[in-house]
Amino acid sequence: MFTYPDNWDSLSPREKFALRLDAWQSTEGMDFESGEAKANYEERLARLRNALELKGTDRPIANPGVGEYILRRAGLDGVDLLYNHERVFEPVIEFNKEFQPDLAISGFTYPGEVFDILGFQTYIWAGQKLPASGSIQCVEGEYMMADEYDEFIMDPSGFWLKKYIPRIFTALEPVKMLAHLPRISEIVDVGAAAVPFGMPPVREAMQALLDAGEAAMKWVSVAGKTGAALSAAGFPSMSTAFCKAPFDFLGDTLRGTRAIMLDLYRRPDKVIAACEAYVPILVKGITDAANERGATTCMFPLHKGADSFMSQEQFDKFYWPTLKAVMLGLWEEGISSYMFVEGAYNNRLETIAEMPEGSTCWWFDQTDMQKVHDILGDKFTIAGNVPASLMSTGSVEDLRAYCEDLCDLFQDHPGYLLQLGCGVEQTTDEHVRTFLDVVKQYA
Amino acid sequence: MSQDLVNAITEMREDEALRITKERLKAGENPLDVLVDCRNAMEIVGDRFAEGQAFIPELILAGEMLGKIMQETKPYLEETGTADEKLGTIVFGTVEGDIHDIAKDIVAFMLDINGFEVIDLGVDVSPQAFVDAVTESDAKIVGLSGFLTLAYDPMKATVEALKDAGLDDVKVMIGGGQIDEHVRDYTGADAWGRDAVAAISIAKSWA
Repeated sequence: MFTYPDNWDSLSPREKFALRLDAWQSTEGMDFESGEAKANYEERLARLRNALELKGTDRPIANPGVGEYILRRAGLDGVDLLYNHERVFEPVIEFNKEFQPDLAISGFTYPGEVFDILGFQTYIWAGQKLPASGSIQCVEGEYMMADEYDEFIMDPSGFWLKKYIPRIFTALEPVKMLAHLPRISEIVDVGAAAVPFGMPPVREAMQALLDAGEAAMKWVSVAGKTGAALSAAGFPSMSTAFCKAPFDFLGDTLRGTRAIMLDLYRRPDKVIAACEAYVPILVKGITDAANERGATTCMFPLHKGADSFMSQEQFDKFYWPTLKAVMLGLWEEGISSYMFVEGAYNNRLETIAEMPEGSTCWWFDQTDMQKVHDILGDKFTIAGNVPASLMSTGSVEDLRAYCEDLCDLFQDHPGYLLQLGCGVEQTTDEHVRTFLDVVKQYA
Repeated sequence: MSQDLVNAITEMREDEALRITKERLKAGENPLDVLVDCRNAMEIVGDRFAEGQAFIPELILAGEMLGKIMQETKPYLEETGTADEKLGTIVFGTVEGDIHDIAKDIVAFMLDINGFEVIDLGVDVSPQAFVDAVTESDAKIVGLSGFLTLAYDPMKATVEALKDAGLDDVKVMIGGGQIDEHVRDYTGADAWGRDAVAAISIAKSWA
C-alpha cells in the first residue's frame, strides 16, 4: 500500500517515481533466510532500480522469461498451472535458489477454479478445453456490437458492468438486471435498486461471485506465499500493475481483431471517441491498483499497433494518441510504463521517443535492436530481445553469441535488461545458465 | 473492365464498390467481368500489402468486399464451370494445441487470391488430419501456422507424421510470429516465413 506524502502535488513525476521506488525498495518488516539472502536482495533490487531510473548499472540485468519451463522441468503441466497451485511452489523456489537469477523467476499461475465458477468466455485453458500440454489461449469474439459504440462512449463503466461482464461470464449474465447505479440518490431510489438482488437469477450470480472470491483467495494466498519466499531467499520481483493500450482494450476483447480493423474504415470517429473515453478510467484504475499493491511500474502488452498490423498513419491516428495519454497520465502519478512491444516497432521508434525521458521501459520482441539503440539512445530503460526460438531450439553457442551481441550493443546504456522476446515453455538448464551468465562478464 | 470498381475496392470505398457492382449487374453486364475486376483489385491490394503500403485493416476489408460482391453476383452466374487454372493445392491449418486463426486466415486468403487452391483445415489440427487431407487431395504443399512457442512440437510431429505416411514428396512450410530458421531446423520443415508475403513466395517457388 502506497501512501501519498503531503507535498505530493508539488513533486515532479521523477520525484514521485522515486518515492514509489523508495517504498518498494524498503526491506522494513521483511524476513530473510540469511544475511546473504538479504544482501543479495538489496544488491539486485538496487541494480534494477538504477536501470529503471537510468542511473547506470554495474552490468546488464539478465531476466529470462522461463517461468513455464520451471514447471515443465519439474514434471508439472498446464493443469497444475491452473488448478494445483501448491504443487508449483517448491519447484519455483528450488529453481531460483539453484540458478540465482538477477530477478525472481516464478511460474505465473492462473485461477482455473475462478474461471470455471464464473463461466469465463474469452480464454480457454488447460484442464478445461486445452490439453495438459497447453496453458491458456485467448478466444476472440464480438462482445460489443458495432451499434453499441455510442453506449460505450457515453458510459464505459456502465457498459462494462451491464453489457460486457454479463457476456464474458456466463454465471454473471443476470448482472444486466441491476439498476443503473449512478441514478441512486433519493430515498425513493433505494428500494428499487435493491429489488434485483432479491431475484433468484441475480442471487445465483452473487453466489457465484462469492464462490469465485473464495477460490481467488486460495490462489492469491499461494501466489503471495511464493512471492514472499522468493524475496526471503534474495530474489526481488519487478513490481507491476497491468494495463493495455485503449485501442487494444477495444480490439482484443470488446470488438475482436476482425471487427476493429473493419471499424477503422466503417466508423473511424467512433473508434477514436471510444479510445478517448477509456483514457481517464484507465489512468484512475491503474493508479488505484498501483497504490494498493505498491507497484512502481505498469506493464502494457502491446498488440494491434505493431508494424505489420497497421500503417504509420493509422498508428498515429488510432493507436498512439490515447496510449500516450494513458502513459503520461500514469507518469504524472509517478508510475513508469513497462511496454512489452510484441512483434516489431521498427517504424514506430521515432514516435515512441516522444515520451518524457525516464518515463518508460521498452521491452522489445522482434524490433531491430540496432535501430532501438540508435533512435531511442539513453532516453528510456531498454529490454529484449533474445528470440524465444533461439532459447527453445537453438544451440547454446548461438544463444551466447546473440546475448553477447546485445550486451555489447548496450554496454554503455544506463539501464539495459537482457530479456527474451517472449516467454518460453521449452528450453534446457544449460540454455538458462548461459543466459544468466553472459551478463556477468560485463561487470 | 471498370476502373471505377477497381478503384473503389483498392481505395477501400466499400459502399461505392457495392453500389457499382449492383448497377453493373442490373444493367445486364456479364457477372464474370465484375469478378475479373474484383480479382484485379485484389491483386493490387495484395501487391500493396507485399510492399508495405497496405496492412491488416485493408486486407480484411478487401476480403469483406470480395465476399459481398460474390454474394451479389451469385444469382447472375450460370452453373457452368468458371474455375480458373490453379497453381497448385495447399493443405493449410493451425497446428494442434493452437487456436489462433487470424494470421492463418490472412495467409490462406492471400494464397487463394494468388492462384492456389487452399484447403483450410482450421485451427487445432492434429498431425493425422493433415495427413488425411494431403492423401485425399493429393496436395504437394502443406502450410503449418502457429502463434505460440508451444506450436514448435506439434509442427515437428506433423512433419514427422507426413514422412511416416510416406508422403515424402510433400513440401512443408511453417509460419507464425515466433518462427525462424532455428524452428525450421528443429521441426524438419522445408521452409519458414513470418507473413503472408513470404508464404506466397515460398509456395510459388514450389508450384
